Amino acid sequence: MPFVNIIRKRLIFLVLVVFGVSLITFAISHIIPGDPARLVAGDRASDEIVTSIRQQMGLDRPLPEQYWRYLTGILRGDLGASLRTNRPVIEDLVAFFPASLELALVALLIATLMGAPLGVLSAVYRDRPIDHVVRTLAVIGISTPAFWLGLILIVTFYGALGVLPGGGRIDPNLAIPSRVTGFYLVDSLLAGDLPAFGSTLRHLVLPAFTLGFIHLGVVARQIRSAMLDELQQDYVRTARANGIAKWRVICGHALPNALIPSITVLGLALGDLLYGAVLTETVFAWPGMGAYVVNSIQSLDFPAVMGFSVVVSFAYVLVNLAVDLIYMAIDPRITGVN
Amino acid sequence: MFIATGPSNRKFQTIAFAAALATTLAAVLAGPAVADSAKDVLTIGKAADPQTLDPDITVDNNDWTVTYYAYQRLVHYKTINGKGSTEVEPELADSWSVSADGLTWDFKLKAGNKFDDGSSLDAAAVKYSFDRLFKLKQGPSEALPENTTVTVIGPMEVRFQLPSPYAPFLYALANNGCGIVNPKVEEKAKDGDMAKAWLAANTAGSGPYKLVSWDKGQSLVLEPNANYAGEKPAFSKVRVKIVGEAAARRLQLENGDLDIAEDLPVDQVEAIKKKPGIRVEEYPSLLVTYLYLNNSKPPLDKPEVRRAISWAIDYQGIVDGIFDGQAKQMRGPIPDGMWGQDPNVMQYTQDLAKAKAELAKSGVTAPKLSFLYSERDPNWEPIGLAVQANLAALGIEVKLEKLANAAYRERLGKGDFEIGVGKWSPDFADPYMFMNYWFDSNRKGLSGDRAFYVNPKVDELVRKAASATDQAERVKLYKEAQAIVVDEAPYVYLVQKNSQIALRDSVAGFVFNPMLEQIYNIGAMSKTK
Repeated sequence: MPFVNIIRKRLIFLVLVVFGVSLITFAISHIIPGDPARLVAGDRASDEIVTSIRQQMGLDRPLPEQYWRYLTGILRGDLGASLRTNRPVIEDLVAFFPASLELALVALLIATLMGAPLGVLSAVYRDRPIDHVVRTLAVIGISTPAFWLGLILIVTFYGALGVLPGGGRIDPNLAIPSRVTGFYLVDSLLAGDLPAFGSTLRHLVLPAFTLGFIHLGVVARQIRSAMLDELQQDYVRTARANGIAKWRVICGHALPNALIPSITVLGLALGDLLYGAVLTETVFAWPGMGAYVVNSIQSLDFPAVMGFSVVVSFAYVLVNLAVDLIYMAIDPRITGVN
Repeated sequence: MFIATGPSNRKFQTIAFAAALATTLAAVLAGPAVADSAKDVLTIGKAADPQTLDPDITVDNNDWTVTYYAYQRLVHYKTINGKGSTEVEPELADSWSVSADGLTWDFKLKAGNKFDDGSSLDAAAVKYSFDRLFKLKQGPSEALPENTTVTVIGPMEVRFQLPSPYAPFLYALANNGCGIVNPKVEEKAKDGDMAKAWLAANTAGSGPYKLVSWDKGQSLVLEPNANYAGEKPAFSKVRVKIVGEAAARRLQLENGDLDIAEDLPVDQVEAIKKKPGIRVEEYPSLLVTYLYLNNSKPPLDKPEVRRAISWAIDYQGIVDGIFDGQAKQMRGPIPDGMWGQDPNVMQYTQDLAKAKAELAKSGVTAPKLSFLYSERDPNWEPIGLAVQANLAALGIEVKLEKLANAAYRERLGKGDFEIGVGKWSPDFADPYMFMNYWFDSNRKGLSGDRAFYVNPKVDELVRKAASATDQAERVKLYKEAQAIVVDEAPYVYLVQKNSQIALRDSVAGFVFNPMLEQIYNIGAMSKTK
């Protein structure tokens, strides 16, 4: 099946997912107890003021009408106004989403660059001490609470050693690079602002490592398992019999094949990293979507919560699409089979 | 020109590339970890981003850190001998007069005050601000009586016409919501929103500072308002940094990245007290924690049962064990430090004999009660456990029920609970904030009378006190009401908390005002280094 058909199918799927997510989050938001108008007005406001706010917000309209207005808004790129901040939700998400995505991507890079070699070593030296060390490390990575690791890193590298910043995205004394992509690393490079690039990188090290460390274990285990399969294959034995050096066979022949199933794991990991970074973002004062969404949920800020859900599900489907395309690019059999 | 690349050349290139990458990375990463905090820059560490900066909408002190000194009001709180007080004095107003019936208030404005864009602050601007407050009709409008009208009676004179006498009027004008907004914000209005969207993220006042930038989730930067009529402030920049995690705020304060760290838990404050370069200032606040006993539900409809509960609580144990000594037991509903409090009103202490006697008098045996609370405040669960243990001694079985905060508030509002826990602080410096809100039966539910208490005599007293113009008369009426509501115990008056503010030693001129929690007098503060 040609690429175009697959992309077309996926895009139809994307519309269905966004519709489904918006409907489910809308329903959940309105089922749970609590009155957002009361939250905006403050506890002490009289019932009359609460009623007036409810009318201003359109919360007194029938639910189907409220949902229809929301859905038609999405089609125009309007996610409504936050009940809590009074600002358009899309503006808030545009401010916070790139920060979360930048952190997630760097964390994923760390998880891959560290996890893949560890997985290979673990497979090659199966049941030897290095394998045990890597497997233990993987278990520690998977089971370490992010907030705990984050705090330990802050106390050590910021508090005791003073070598890395304790939080934030950039040195507050530096100007924020002018926005092109919203990724400070990219924007500072585009602007040729090396101090801003360096500061962003320094601010990224600890939160990205904290977040990446959890997924490092997943990646290492996945690569190990895939490599063990590949190393049993005939082509590996043939290559070795032909006199090709051991590590050349491992890295040049077995690893590329072992990486194929790992791409799915990495795609899923990116999704996890996107919406699972709440604690890490809080610990490192990282201005991502985590704190924004938690505050929105606590304040029953329906438009903000629904906007977040729609954007993340949109991103999730796009990541899956990208994974499929990468699969097809590196393994032509898939296109052929389909 | 073609250059052949043999294996050794490729190896060299790889090594050179790796070395160059490593050097660049090392150079980039070797920058300073700790930002310099200059003498003319004040950095305040806050746990959460403000929600909205519109003074006519926000009801949250966390937002007021930014808005309070970006705007000015007709009156403000007095500083007496270097201490913040709950008394008010003129700010934008030059003088005022009030009619004998207490309904007409005329204010003359001081000349020379200007908004941050250079336009004059006159009577028309005052009228615009209050009209906007009443038209938007959100939380802050609650501080003033509904249907109050404002008219311009001269270029610098304005009249407030109240629908009925309202004694706390003058004190309410010092509230954040009564900040005077530049009428030119109307140019930023969209779809008739009275510039609500624009003012949510900008300031348009005449105070010593104005907001210049807000990077969401990161920081807000305030700079001096060049048109401010008062003394030029010391800081060229006030930065409000958002640092969600308390431990991280503490570390940043220790390392000098923050000058003030807000909202540190008591144990963290205790730990930093010993650190060099940091001082912790402690003040009695007007923030109280109390229990709502639902008077509309048996057996709590019997005053004897409520009294029995009030006699059974270990107040000192709660102060020492839960608040680490940073609180004191309340004496009646009005906290110490607020005028109108009766220092001689009866105070419950833990006395099991009296508690048992009251319970016996009620005729209720072995009642079962539920204690409702939420995750909103970490002290509420331990308070629930203490209440459970204390009431077990009376044979009262208490079941703790924890809810999400939104659900908790919904149940409280509907009166669907037996015992609830909450905290309260006044919006303006008047006992009205406690006596009329908590005990006027017209305010049953979340808005004030959370115990669903009804006593016509108390209604009469507090309503009379709210409309009386003579302060001595008001104090007398409130004292009479206090005696009744202490005796009938609709609430358990637990504790009033201390405010602890952690600052760098170099910060000078900070004046705490119990009415202005999380608000720093940045216009008058400075740093010694």
